[in-house]
Order: sequence, then C-alpha cells, then structure tokens
Amino acid sequence: MENTVSTNEILDSLQRCIERGKVNNKSPHPPDMKGQDGADELARKALDTGIPPQDVLSKALVIGMQHVGERFRNKEIFVPDVLMSAKAMSAAMEHLKPFFESNALKHRGTVVMGTVLGDLHDIGKKIVSMVIEGAGWEVVDLGTDVSPEKFLNAVAQHPGCVVGLSALLTTTMINMETTVRHIKAQHPGTKIIVGGAPVTHDFASKIGADGYSPDPQGAVEFLNTRGLQS
Amino acid sequence: MIGPTANDTYVFSPSFSDLTVRRELLEKILGYKGGGPPDHAVRAGTPAAVSNLIEEILPEVPSRISVRCGFRILPVGSVSVASDSLSCNGVRFTTGAIIAKRLRASTTLAPFVATIGSQMEDWSRELMAGGDPVKGFIVDAIASETVEQVAEWLEKRVAEHVKPRGWNITNRYSPGYCGWSVAEQHELFSLLPERFCGVSLTVSSLMIPIKSVSGVIGLGPTVKRDASICSICDLKDCFRRQDDPLPTVEEA
Repeated sequence: MENTVSTNEILDSLQRCIERGKVNNKSPHPPDMKGQDGADELARKALDTGIPPQDVLSKALVIGMQHVGERFRNKEIFVPDVLMSAKAMSAAMEHLKPFFESNALKHRGTVVMGTVLGDLHDIGKKIVSMVIEGAGWEVVDLGTDVSPEKFLNAVAQHPGCVVGLSALLTTTMINMETTVRHIKAQHPGTKIIVGGAPVTHDFASKIGADGYSPDPQGAVEFLNTRGLQS
Repeated sequence: MIGPTANDTYVFSPSFSDLTVRRELLEKILGYKGGGPPDHAVRAGTPAAVSNLIEEILPEVPSRISVRCGFRILPVGSVSVASDSLSCNGVRFTTGAIIAKRLRASTTLAPFVATIGSQMEDWSRELMAGGDPVKGFIVDAIASETVEQVAEWLEKRVAEHVKPRGWNITNRYSPGYCGWSVAEQHELFSLLPERFCGVSLTVSSLMIPIKSVSGVIGLGPTVKRDASICSICDLKDCFRRQDDPLPTVEEA
C-alpha cells in the first residue's frame, strides 16, 4: 500500500512538473517550485523506484502534456508556457531514451513533419512537433522548404507513418496539394494532416488531406484516433 | 537617414533606440495580461521566466539587427483605383475591396519595404535547435515586433515627407492581408529598385530576410489614417489584433 502511494505521488509530481514547465532542481521557473525536484530528477527517481517506463510515459508525461495542450487550446496558457512544458518533457524523456532504444518502450507511432516546398517558416511546426512528441509519438522533422520527393523518401523509410504538412503562406499552401497527391499516389494508406495560419478545414478536404488542426492538441487528437495502425 | 536615391526613393537606417519595442508590449503580444482574442477565458499574468527572458534579450537586439527601410513616391497621375483593384505605373493589383476603398482618395502611392536583416532569425533558429525553444521563440517574437516598429517608424517619415505638399497618409497595407494576395508581392517589388533595402523575394513571394515588411501607403490631401485597422481585417486570431488595445507609450 505504502509503495502504491509512493508510486502515485512520484507520478503525480512528475505530471505536475510537465504541466508547470519545471525542468530540474536548478531551474528557477516556476517560482513557487524553486528548489524542488523537476521533471529531470523525478523521471530518474520514478525509474529507480521500479515504476515501469511505460507508466512513467503514459501516466505522467503524456497526461501532463495533454493538459498543457488543452489549456493552450482554451487560451489559458500561451506558447512560451507550452515550450517550457516541452522542455520539462524533453528532460524526462532523456531517461526513457534507453528503453526506446532497446524496444522495451515503444512510441505510439511515427510522424513525418515538414514545412512544404517554398516556405521557410519553422517555429509553428516545431511547437506542434514538441506537443506531438509529448503525446508519445516519434517525430521525424524534415525541416522547411521540403520537396514532395523528400516527403516520399521519408514515408518509404518509415512505413506506417503519419505525415504532417505545414505552410504559413497562401502561396505555399498550394504546394500541400502537390505533396498530398504524390504521397497518396505512392502510399495510398498514409494518413496526412495539414496545418498553418492560412489553412482551413475546407482546404484540407479539397486537397485530399485526412485531417486539419488549427492547434497542436487537435493534431494529437487526430493522431490518437486516426493515426494509429490497426 | 541615408537620403534620397534615384527615382524618388528614400532609404533610412533608424537605430533600435528610435523604435518603440518594450517588454510590456511584447508580453501582451505573447498573449499575457489579457492579450489575445476577445473570447479570452483567463487573464493570465506573465510568468517571471518569460519577463526575465525578454529583459535578457532586449539589450542584445541592437547588435543583432541591420535595419533598413525605405519608400518611393510614385509619380502623380500614375495611380488609378477601382472598386477592388488598383493600377500604378501600369502594374495592376487585385487588392480586394477593403483596401481599394481605403486607397481610393489617394493622389499617389508610396510602396515601401522595411527589414531588420537575418541575424535575429538565425539566432532564434540556433536557440530552437540548441535545446532552448522558449528563448528561441521569444527572440523570434521580438524580431517580428521590431520589424513592425520599423514599419511604424517609416510611416511617420512618409507622413513628414508629404506634409509640405499638404498631403496626408493612409494606413499601410500589405499583400497577404484583407484579401490582397501575397503572390502580388512580385508586382509590388517591381515598383521598387532591385533588392531595395537588401530585401528579395522567393518564387513563393516570401521576403528574404524573413523579418521584413512591405506594402503601400496612400498619399493625398483628403486621405486619412485610422488609429487602428483591426476592425477591417479578416485575421480574427492575429496576435496584433487590438480589440483589447495594446498599451500606448504613455500607459506602459
């Protein structure tokens, strides 16, 4: 019983560190948690205590980032808060890396992300990528100005992956259509989600994308419902 | 001021101290203290970590920007405005009705460009890649606001320049807003000297350096400049939307 309580306490504290963006013991943010252990120490502690890595991931980290995504969608917190949480998540994930490498722990799936050809905007895609990683997915970030050929190569290298396309200009979002057409022609089963300031649900439907989201949490919801391999 | 150049163009290099880039304004742009759309559910205070980062970054900005901005006064009689388009020097722009209506009384136009160079975007990219996404994002936000303030500063210079003629100015309007296709950046840039202020365009109309602003300002004796143009803009989630006005210099 005592062990169960202790386990729950560690996981709850870890989840709280993710939600508040508390990276480690030395980080001054947030001020009311100054001097306390952060995601870094608590993830290590959880594993050392014998909590299964899968529980650390699914019962603390993923739930924490899910709450962050929901609060961001509700405009209760803003991009810097999301990024502070992502940083805390990243510190905790470092301790889970060996388990992913040994296949003891598996990602929910792989998402190939990229900003389409002709567009150099990167930050929005990076923020979405961080939240997706926080939901337990592996992200392969192809960067910006990504040609359809580069997306095709990445899809071939990561069978079963989902593709995320980003664009910030009306002149470049039309390149999403070309990319979607190429991917669907060569890999018809591949699910594709699109996003970016000028992109709409109607546009996504028109170009044959499977999903659209105006925010990172919507992308996670799409992945967790339609992106999972059956 | 660098001064007038050929074809009635004028180029300037204001310093960072000439611009109004303040922590309070940046916090609001980032979403805190009641920023954001009118349906804002929670009026969140700015985390100290964010305020501290802004204070840490701001002193570094002057050494990481290369500000250039300028405008051209097109010849009187070269501009004609229709209900949803306008022509200048034989170049036609489909601006949409919203912008055309506000430029209709113009005697002529001043196409303009403003940039802060590429160092801030390089810095942001390095921070994002180097494991400091929060600072990288704030550097990017400060860069965006700085170039907006350069455009704001340039607007005042245009107003001063045309005042002796008894002319006023309109607000500035840019391709990509209010129904004016961003693809028409190429036509806009055709009215300016090549690589004006060091800014060029990609095939997809993206300005390089990215932290640049371009557009036109209407000039004439009867045109007017509104305090805010947010009410005519269709970008309801724009980070600069002033349904909840940004603090003025006096308030901050």
